[in-house]
Amino acid sequence: MSTQPDSREGLERDVEAALADPATSAPVLQALLGGLYDGYRERGAMMARLMRIADQYQLAERERGQTFAQRYERQLRQLEKIVRISDQYQHMLRELNNELQRTASHDLLTGLYNRRYLFDRLTAEQAKAARGQDSFAVAMADIDFFKQINDRFGHDVGDAALCHVASVMAGPLREYDLCGRWGGEEFLLLFPGGDMAAAERAIVRIREQLRAEPFVHDGESCTLTLSFGCTAYREGETITETLKRVDEALYRAKSTGRDRLERV
Amino acid sequence: MQDLNIAASTSSPSIQTDWSAGMVRLGGDSYPENAFELFRPLLDWVGAYLGSDHGPLQLELRLLYLNTSSIRIMMDVLDQLEAAHGQGRAVSLRWFYDSRNARVADLAEEFREDCSFPFEIVAE
Repeated sequence: MSTQPDSREGLERDVEAALADPATSAPVLQALLGGLYDGYRERGAMMARLMRIADQYQLAERERGQTFAQRYERQLRQLEKIVRISDQYQHMLRELNNELQRTASHDLLTGLYNRRYLFDRLTAEQAKAARGQDSFAVAMADIDFFKQINDRFGHDVGDAALCHVASVMAGPLREYDLCGRWGGEEFLLLFPGGDMAAAERAIVRIREQLRAEPFVHDGESCTLTLSFGCTAYREGETITETLKRVDEALYRAKSTGRDRLERV
Repeated sequence: MQDLNIAASTSSPSIQTDWSAGMVRLGGDSYPENAFELFRPLLDWVGAYLGSDHGPLQLELRLLYLNTSSIRIMMDVLDQLEAAHGQGRAVSLRWFYDSRNARVADLAEEFREDCSFPFEIVAE
């Protein structure tokens, strides 16, 4: 076997010499051809083996690439899902936040502003007035004979009457006026930038509206009335002082016959 | 494997495991600063339990809010369950939610999407 490079070179030299000599005999040529053929077969086998190995490498690389691609796809899908779920959680929190804000500022039963929100707004209006900006007026309203409704028909009907009055009261107000439930059957009206005359105009409209839309329970209609106390903010006073004055006016409206407005 | 009994905090859920009963319970909100640190013992516990031949594993979740890294961990836990289920292991999950907050059910639904093991979403 002529596998060594030097013996292969020797064979090549012998072949060249034999071909150059016209007297070379057939058995010599046959031996040389045999040697050449062995070398040819050997190289072919080596080439085939090399190609097989190269192909296997190529296949392995391809599979590795596919695994990467699959893993990448999977992780991408997982990431997209995490983002989607995370977005939903954020959405849920935002809704909860809105709901909390609403419950913090609104009365659960009537949907009007609650006492806490009204107090914040009163304080803000008072601060504005103290800076020499717009002043404001405040009115306090109380449903007449509300206790009798509660006692006679029960608290459910009392609650329905409160909701009825609340919906009627909010109607006639200007969009920047505020109406809220101060507590029990008491409501507070705030007229930012308004004076006593503006408050009175709104109160007149509310009283007309209440007469026009009686409260209906069990097919029976019942006209509800309100007593009002009303005042304008006076420079330099605190909110507590303003509220005390309007409360006293309301008390006078109550004690002097109800269904009326007392200004102070 | 030692059982876990981690109390809930304002930002992390309670984590309880019971090796003898094959039970894991999580409850509360989850937005810890380092979710991987918090949940590492749980992932290890679940891995060890599923690696043993102890028996079925049941998860009871009462989770409300999950931050992004907690979501990622939950998905890893579900992957662990799914792989075990694929090998014939009995695993199941019940996700309880307050019926007043149906959004939690929608979210549990999202988690359930890629799971083929028993995964119930239960209103309470």
